[in-house]
Amino acid sequence: MVNGYKPATLREAVDIRSRESVIPYAGGTDLMVQNKANAVYLFLNDIDEIRQIADDSEYIRIGAAVTFTEALASDLVPQLMKEAVSKIAAPAIRNAGTFGGNIGNGSDKADSVLAGFAMDGRVRLVSAGGERVIPFDDFCVRRGVTNIKDDELIAEILLPKDKCAMPYYYHKVGGRNALAISRVALAGVYDVQDGVISYISLTVIGEGKFTRYRDVEAELIGKTVEEVQAHIDDYVRLFIDRMTFTRGRVSAEYRKTVIGNLIRDYLMTL
Amino acid sequence: MNEIRFTLNRKETTYAGSAADRLLEVLRDSYDMKSVKCGCKEGECGACAVLIDGVLINSCCVAMGAVDGHEIMTVEGFRETEQFAALSKAFAELSAVQCGFCIPGMILAAQSVLSKNAHPTEDEVREGLSGNICRCTGYNAIVNAVLNAAKEGDGLW
Repeated sequence: MVNGYKPATLREAVDIRSRESVIPYAGGTDLMVQNKANAVYLFLNDIDEIRQIADDSEYIRIGAAVTFTEALASDLVPQLMKEAVSKIAAPAIRNAGTFGGNIGNGSDKADSVLAGFAMDGRVRLVSAGGERVIPFDDFCVRRGVTNIKDDELIAEILLPKDKCAMPYYYHKVGGRNALAISRVALAGVYDVQDGVISYISLTVIGEGKFTRYRDVEAELIGKTVEEVQAHIDDYVRLFIDRMTFTRGRVSAEYRKTVIGNLIRDYLMTL
Repeated sequence: MNEIRFTLNRKETTYAGSAADRLLEVLRDSYDMKSVKCGCKEGECGACAVLIDGVLINSCCVAMGAVDGHEIMTVEGFRETEQFAALSKAFAELSAVQCGFCIPGMILAAQSVLSKNAHPTEDEVREGLSGNICRCTGYNAIVNAVLNAAKEGDGLW
């Protein structure tokens, strides 16, 4: 007996998804750790349409079933994303793990999601009835919970080209060099014109959820780098005071301290 | 899916079990590929690594449905190659094997490194083997063996 579905096209995949209770499967690296008994998988790993990396006038488009290794070999994928995914686990996991799986499983420690959040990434979701494109902010609700509907599949991750072209900051803190899950990490992109901050983004791993404090980011826009760095403690506090730290394996106090240090490091290197 | 067709060590085969079965367990229990070791079942140790279409993948993190249409190589198949002979000689000469549990995964990780880069630096070898855990050797002998195999087996990759 063979249970499971292996559609050849995305159209076929969403048709199955609309009528059956299936678990979308791309790389398997997260799903197979649990490998629930009697799971019925919808195997998406050989669907060409979602294995492409492409660009258009507005976005770099990364298919949901593109692996991290494939992204690292692409000239289109921005350096911030490459740096983030290059530190995921080890080669055998990066050879299998995918962008769709990384955001789809709702982890609050997903390295590609961190980079995508900092770049105003979007998710393209498809269903038998159509498609919708939503920002990462709207897709990631909280740890383990996303905004995907039961009949939808993730088709692509979209990264705005203007954000891909900006200078970036990225730092990951893990327990070891290889096979480390991020305890704390920070990613951001920025634009400074004549010493004045014209754009800045900041996202962290370590708070227990992904979020952007866009109102706090807005307070920095229009300020000079010199002014921000002269009052660095105040600006670090603006972000930290807004963050709430859920209980986790690593103490909240540690995560708060290290995130503060990384925000300081980021702002001091603008 | 009606059946799962794939190639195992150059031979075509059909698996009639569940598409959700774990490749690691199917290789060991249904195909008697005992070089594939079960260390952690969560992608952390690399002892179950195999080559799928020449790419290093932990077989504990693969469901059978995903291998339909693909080529799997384990050490049972790889040992018939000249590359294996060069790696085996280098591992033996440098005493890079102690208990041996991690070695099938290490050999395939080494093959994965060398097939992409015939003359890797030490750092590149360490990066390539970074997902394979060894409790005995302290890694240095294994890294040196891979570097020696690249040197002695020049032209094989």
